[in-house]
Order: sequence, then C-alpha cells, then structure tokens
Amino acid sequence: MNREKIKTAYIDYVLSNNEQPKSVYVFAKSLKLKEEEFYHYFNSFESIENGIWLDLIRQTADNVKSEEVYEGYSARERILSFFFTLIELMKAQRSFIIYSIKHSGKGFTTPGILEKAKEQFEGFALEVLSHGIENNEIVERKFISDRYKDALWLQFVFIVNFWINDISENFEKTDEAIEKGINVTLDLMSRGPIDNLLEYGKFLAQQGKNKIKFPFTA
Amino acid sequence: MKEQTSIPVSKVERSVKFVTTGAKVGVNYLKHYSRKLVNPDATKDQLNEDNASDIYIALSQLKGSALKIAQMLSMDKNILPKAYAEQFSQAQYSAPPLSGPLIIRTFTKYFGKAPEKIYDSFKLKSTHAASIGQVHQATLNGKKLAVKIQYPGVGDSINSDLKMVKPFAFRLLGMSEAELNVYIKEVEEKLLEETDYELEVKRSLFFSKACKHLDNIIFPKYYPELSSKRIITMDWIEGIHLREYLKTDPSQAERNRIGQALWDFYNFQQHELRQVHADPHPGNFLITPDRKLGIIDFGCIKELPDNFYYPFFAFVSNPLGDRKKTINYFKQLKMIFDDDSPEMVEFYYQNYSEMIGLFARPFVQGEFDFSKPGYFNELFVLGEKVSKMKEFKQARGVKHFIYVNRTNLGLYNILHDLGAKVRTDTFKPHLIKEDKEQ
Repeated sequence: MNREKIKTAYIDYVLSNNEQPKSVYVFAKSLKLKEEEFYHYFNSFESIENGIWLDLIRQTADNVKSEEVYEGYSARERILSFFFTLIELMKAQRSFIIYSIKHSGKGFTTPGILEKAKEQFEGFALEVLSHGIENNEIVERKFISDRYKDALWLQFVFIVNFWINDISENFEKTDEAIEKGINVTLDLMSRGPIDNLLEYGKFLAQQGKNKIKFPFTA
Repeated sequence: MKEQTSIPVSKVERSVKFVTTGAKVGVNYLKHYSRKLVNPDATKDQLNEDNASDIYIALSQLKGSALKIAQMLSMDKNILPKAYAEQFSQAQYSAPPLSGPLIIRTFTKYFGKAPEKIYDSFKLKSTHAASIGQVHQATLNGKKLAVKIQYPGVGDSINSDLKMVKPFAFRLLGMSEAELNVYIKEVEEKLLEETDYELEVKRSLFFSKACKHLDNIIFPKYYPELSSKRIITMDWIEGIHLREYLKTDPSQAERNRIGQALWDFYNFQQHELRQVHADPHPGNFLITPDRKLGIIDFGCIKELPDNFYYPFFAFVSNPLGDRKKTINYFKQLKMIFDDDSPEMVEFYYQNYSEMIGLFARPFVQGEFDFSKPGYFNELFVLGEKVSKMKEFKQARGVKHFIYVNRTNLGLYNILHDLGAKVRTDTFKPHLIKEDKEQ
C-alpha cells in the first residue's frame, strides 16, 4: 500500500460522495488497510489534500525545469511557462480541484489545504526571482522585493480561481488571463517610472539638506 | 523587436484608447489651423499625416480585429486621403509577438507536443506578424516551413472592437452609423471567418488547386495534419514584399508579367469560381527570386451569389447600355429603391452609372495601363465628390459591394503601385442570356 493509492482512493471517494469519509478508520478499512499504515503517510484527510496540491506544484516545477528551452528563458518566461504547465496538469484532475477549492472555505488567509503547496510554490518563485534579479530583468527594491513572491502567489490564487470558472473552449480565456496577468506582474517588478520617481525624490531630499533657495516660484 | 508586455485588456481600456485618439485628432486640427495662421500655405496634407499617425499608433496597440480594420481602411486609398492610407498600410508589419511559453502551450494544446518535437527545428521568435497571428519559421524533413499561430481570444475581441471602431470609422468616412449595420455585420462575419484557421486551410487547399494552371503564380503547400484551429503549417515561400521588390527597379516587361498574373488570379476567381480572395493587401503577396507571384493568405474569401454577380457584371461589361435595363440592375442591387421618386431615380441612375462606369473602365477596354495616375485621380475626385453629397449619406447598395469593391479597388491599387499594363480580357464576366442580347 503506498501513498499514491491512498491519494487515488481519497479522490475517488470525495468525488463520488461529495464529502470526506466519515473517519480515517472507515476509510482505511475500505482500503483493507490498518489505520496506522494510513498515519504513516498522512495524519488527516486534510493532509491528503495538502499532499495532492503539493505534488501538483512539485510536478509542474519539475516539468517546466526539464524542458530544454528552460535554461534560455527569462524570469518572465519561466513564470509564464510554470502557469501554462500548471493548468495543463490541473486539467487531468479538474473535478477534484474544483471540489477541493469549493470545500476549502472562504477567507482572507490561504486555505489549510494549500499550505504545503504555497511553500513549494514560493521556493520555485524565489529561484526564478533571483535569476531575474541576477539578469537585471527584475529590480531589487528595499522592503518591496521581499513581497515579490507574494504577488506571484496572488497570481496563483487568481489563476486557479479563474480556471475553475472558465467555460471557454480549451480554457482559452485562462491562457489569456495568464499571459496578461503575469506580464503585468513582471512589468511592475522591472525597472519603471516608479523607480525613477523615487530616485528623483531622494535626490531632491538630499538637496533640501543643503537648503537651496529658489529665486522664484513657478 | 520588443515583445509586447501588455495588451489592452478590457473594453474600457480599449475605449480609452479611442477616446485619447479622438482628442488627439482634435489637437491635430488645432495644430493645423494655428500652423495656417503662421503659414497660410500649409496644406491639409500635413494635417492628415498627423492624424493618420496618431490614429495608427492607437490602432496598432489594439491588435486583432482593430488592426484588421486599420488594414481595411488602408485599402480604400481612393476614399481616404493619401496620408491615412500610407500609415495604415504599415499595419501588417508591426504587431509585437506573443511570449514563448504561450506558443509552446498552444502547440501542446492542439497536438499534445511541443513545437520542437513536431518539427525538426522551430524558431521561438516569430519572424513577422500576420494581423491576427504571427509567423514562425520551422523545418521538417529538410523543408523550410512557415507556421502561423493565432493570438488567443481574437474572436471574442472582434465584437467589442467593432463596436469601438464603428463611430470612429464613420466619423472618418463621414457617414452615419444607424443605417450601416448590414454592412458592419458583413464585415464582422468575414472577420470571424478569418479566425477559423481550419477553414482557412480548407480554402487554401481548394484555391491553390483550382488556380494551379494560372501562369506565374505560386502557392505554398499546406499541411492539414500539422494545422489546427489556431495553427497553420505551410511551405515557406522565399521572396520579398511588393514594396521592397519595387525598390529593385524591375523592368517594365517584368512588372507587366506580375501584374498580369495578379489580374488573372483575381478575375479567374471572380468569374470562374465565383468566390474570391478578398484581401488584396500588399502584405499577402510575395515576389519570388524567379520573379513569380507567391500568394500566402486565404483568410478572407468573398463568395459572389448569382443575384449579385449577374446584375453587377452585366452593367460592368456594358456601362453605356440601355437605361431601362440599367435601372433594373440597380434596383436588383438595391442602389435604387422601388419607392424612389422619378427625380431620385434619375439622380442615382446618373451618379451610379458614372461611378460604376469609371470602376468598369479597365474591364471594358480589353487592355489597361494601371501606371497612369490620371485614372486614379478621377476615382479619387469622384470619391471626394460623392462623399460630400448628402444623398449618399443614406446607405444604399447590397452588402456584397463592400468586399467586391475592396477586392477590385485593392487590385487596381496594387497594379498601380506595380505600374503594370495588363490584358483585362483574359477572363471575361459571364452574362445570362437576356443580358447578352441587349
């Protein structure tokens, strides 16, 4: 009995019954499994869902990185590629993903079932971001650059939700949402007018110390 | 080329684009009049040029159907001031490309494989834009291929784009909006058809086979098994665009030969196939190294139904014919209505005879020298005159005119640019019996 089998059986159960099994005991029994064996892999039903999401992210990242073109990609392209691959992989488990998200409860914090996935995603995001910073594609900004990964996670949440509600043929709308959303996000991370404005402000503040008097006003 | 980092997303954003353009056009007028104060000799040419380039900049950021509409406007060089037309005809060449991952995504979606697994090689950077898509170079089994990929969501944006462009375009053409919905629908239908790449492959196969026997024309080979709703694979045709070709200063005989090939291609389709490649944009043609005409885009096809074809070409082949018959044709073509007063009938009979008669001149003469600017000036002057007549603010004529005019006037324009003299009686209009007896 392995981890995969428990996962598959769990997905099958929730999709057939639209709810979690009554207890770990009953669920394990139906798999002809000792309860302790179940706990060897997972400590609750929630942790199964956590595991499924985690595997999804891990596999997406692995697939993306194994592509030949990946090495030559910019940070922007790496992120885009991640999301396109993600929704392709999600397609195979669409029913479960819809079930899982709809049952995760609404709130402002990350749902419990996505905790592990988030960690994994942030790991990937940080890797890509530092690649982008090295190449000067992304600018480092005090305090703000630590939040870059959160912006990407927000995109993750947005894209998954968009995809769940997407009824367009072949999920074409989601493709557009990704292409446009990620481009905007990455635009904000690259050098732009805001940086110049901040620098100008800094410069003026510096001059202020020397008390320049303006001979006339505009 | 810098990859486009943002595409205007919502309708709101698109509207904003047009609003700013509208404002800018106003400013250009202001500039024009102030320039006139300083220099009374300033001509309207400068004004039109300023407007055209601002409008063009706004449109070129819109991509998709808006870009297509810009192209359509650019076809009507005769109606639009020259400056507009020149800016618009750049539209074909300057839409920024999509990201590499999205291209790969499109392939895996339709073929289950990345492009480098389908072709022996595939260039992820596109070589050029094709109005609603972009073209990539690939190779397979030693053959160089052109792979056209469509931007996602083009179909959806056509509708809202048209709504945005409508009032704008009408102001530009000086017409009212309400009556023109039939025509707008025709344009919309055609634009939507163009987004169906499976249909385009089918048509390309049909036309390249049906026109195979025509001299000096080359079609790429199409690969339906490597094509899908969003992707078309065809042979790469080596060649240069018309404008670059003209810079090589080709001989008159060569110009005539290529012009003749164009004329034959269009008129064979019009009169023998009764459906025609309705996008005679210079960007859709290539001149190959052995100086033949390569035809590379069958996205826009106009079918000519009998109830349009017969009355229209009966008049075109005999514009000085019997008055009663002519009025009858015009009625069939809805250029004259049954409830028009006798004065109105006379007015429209005179003016439409003059207009279509002028249009028909190359057909009637058997041989026509398109290099002479005189004929085009006449067209332009008449166009100007008509566009100022209040009688023509009212929508008249069946919807088929839009694409048939666009096709033939587009053809005339290209032949003019080529400076070609061609035989125009190679493929003659077919007439029904009673029309022949006239």
